[in-house]
Amino acid sequence: MATTSSRKRVPKKTVKKAAKKAAGQDKVERRRLWLMYPSRLIKEPVVWKLGVKFELIPNVRQASVTDELGIVCLELSGRREKLKAAVAWLEKQGIRVDPVEINVMES
Amino acid sequence: MSKGNGMMRALKCRECGRQYPLEALHVCDFDFGPLEVVYDYERIQGVMTRDLIVSRPQTMWRYRELLPVVDDPTVGFEVGFTPLIKADRLAERLGVRELWVKNDTVNYPSLSFKDRVVSVALSRSRELGFDTVACASTGNLANSVAANAAAAGLKAYVFIPADLEQGKVLNSLVYQPQVIGIQGHYDQVNRLCAEIAGKYGWAFVNVNMRPYYAEGSKSMGFEIVEQLGWRVPQHTVIPMASGSLLTKIHKSYRELSDLGLVEASGWRIHGAQAGGCSPISQAQKAGLDFFKPVKPETIAKSLAIGTPADGFYALRVMKDTGGAADDVTDDEIREGIKLLAECEGIFAETAGGVTVGVAKKLIASGKISAEDSAVLCVTGHGLKTLDAVQGCVGKAREIKPSLREFESALTGDGQLTR
Ligand SMILES: Cc1ncc(COP(=O)(O)O)c(C=O)c1O
Repeated sequence: MATTSSRKRVPKKTVKKAAKKAAGQDKVERRRLWLMYPSRLIKEPVVWKLGVKFELIPNVRQASVTDELGIVCLELSGRREKLKAAVAWLEKQGIRVDPVEINVMES
Repeated sequence: MSKGNGMMRALKCRECGRQYPLEALHVCDFDFGPLEVVYDYERIQGVMTRDLIVSRPQTMWRYRELLPVVDDPTVGFEVGFTPLIKADRLAERLGVRELWVKNDTVNYPSLSFKDRVVSVALSRSRELGFDTVACASTGNLANSVAANAAAAGLKAYVFIPADLEQGKVLNSLVYQPQVIGIQGHYDQVNRLCAEIAGKYGWAFVNVNMRPYYAEGSKSMGFEIVEQLGWRVPQHTVIPMASGSLLTKIHKSYRELSDLGLVEASGWRIHGAQAGGCSPISQAQKAGLDFFKPVKPETIAKSLAIGTPADGFYALRVMKDTGGAADDVTDDEIREGIKLLAECEGIFAETAGGVTVGVAKKLIASGKISAEDSAVLCVTGHGLKTLDAVQGCVGKAREIKPSLREFESALTGDGQLTR
């Protein structure tokens, strides 16, 4: 199942080290996210910055950009801490970040 | 297809059409499009007749060939077949020839339409070998998962935002699932829950079980058709949060009509939202086929989803059927709740007020013609949102225990003054 495959992707030699650290800090994980950005950010190379700033590997799966709204569906791979920092950075830029499931929290 | 899948054929991506096995999967590996259950309609056509359906108990499971389970359901046998009420008094007030109310305020066991989706999700979870089910919810979904899991003896985890009102938490706690409050903003809570759902081997009803879960909503449409005497209504007004219920009611009409169980006729599907969270209805009114996400601010908490997962598909259904959408203010929602209670004796939660309020607008604007017949989907009980009507339904009048006091409280026309 795609959603559990992240556990299998941990390189063997890092397993011991990771176990000593706080749970999962050093693991390579994959996160699937929808990014929605407002018109003022459409010209910014957001996806490229994610790769450079946070050492993440972005993989675009869907995108729709109009002059009003940019919607990009990404798979991001990288270390857990970097992923967390990247999400925080995206939000600070004014980008909305949802899991691909969108509304996990329902009424 | 193998007998082991019952009437189901596969899961299929709604975007690219790729097929997947009937497991606990919900997005396409290629484009992350949502997966949907596809059925073997030829086989279903061979066995499913009106006589067979009518011979079964009056629950949602009488349409089981079109629901995503292989064997007999093991959770929620009693769910569904709620009353369809001919609402003559409300019809007169709203100015339309014929009006029906599909009354899911009395759905069993947790008093909202969510029992339909949850009983399907949990029955299917059992078939797939899960013993632990989970959901993240602020209200109706949590109540339904907690209650149905308790009755079925399944282990349940319910995630809620840490700042949820006590009353709402009690409604889930009483069934004794594991309830976990998460601190943080809605977006963070949402992302954490997605992570948990991905990491643990649980059946998360609206995440990895979503393709099955969502199909449960079709039962509301099947029942409407049967209860109308095997007729698809001209107009159906449906409240929208994610937009899933709306798309599934349309699918239910299409399936019955494709299978020849009901005469093919035109039907219009209309969507209802609260003004304080109306991404789908705003897009529909502007003629757009995509929506802009919003930050919800409304008393209709059960419909407060700012980024609706099925919004795009709901817009398409309304467009294809010639339906419309509209939205109402918080005051109009309260008015709608009162109107339904006053005219039909049905106490609905805020989502019901939204549906009634929007129906009123659609009739007034002629989008539902005064000569036509319409069904309103009322999806949750008023006892769940008592706060919403607090202070706007008047007060009891107190008198001393004397007949004279009572009579002086009566006005000239024999009514008590308020
Ligand atoms: C009472 C009630 N009505 C309607 C809805 C709308 O459901 P959907 O997300 O399928 O649009 C919900 C969703 O939570 C609900 O709780």
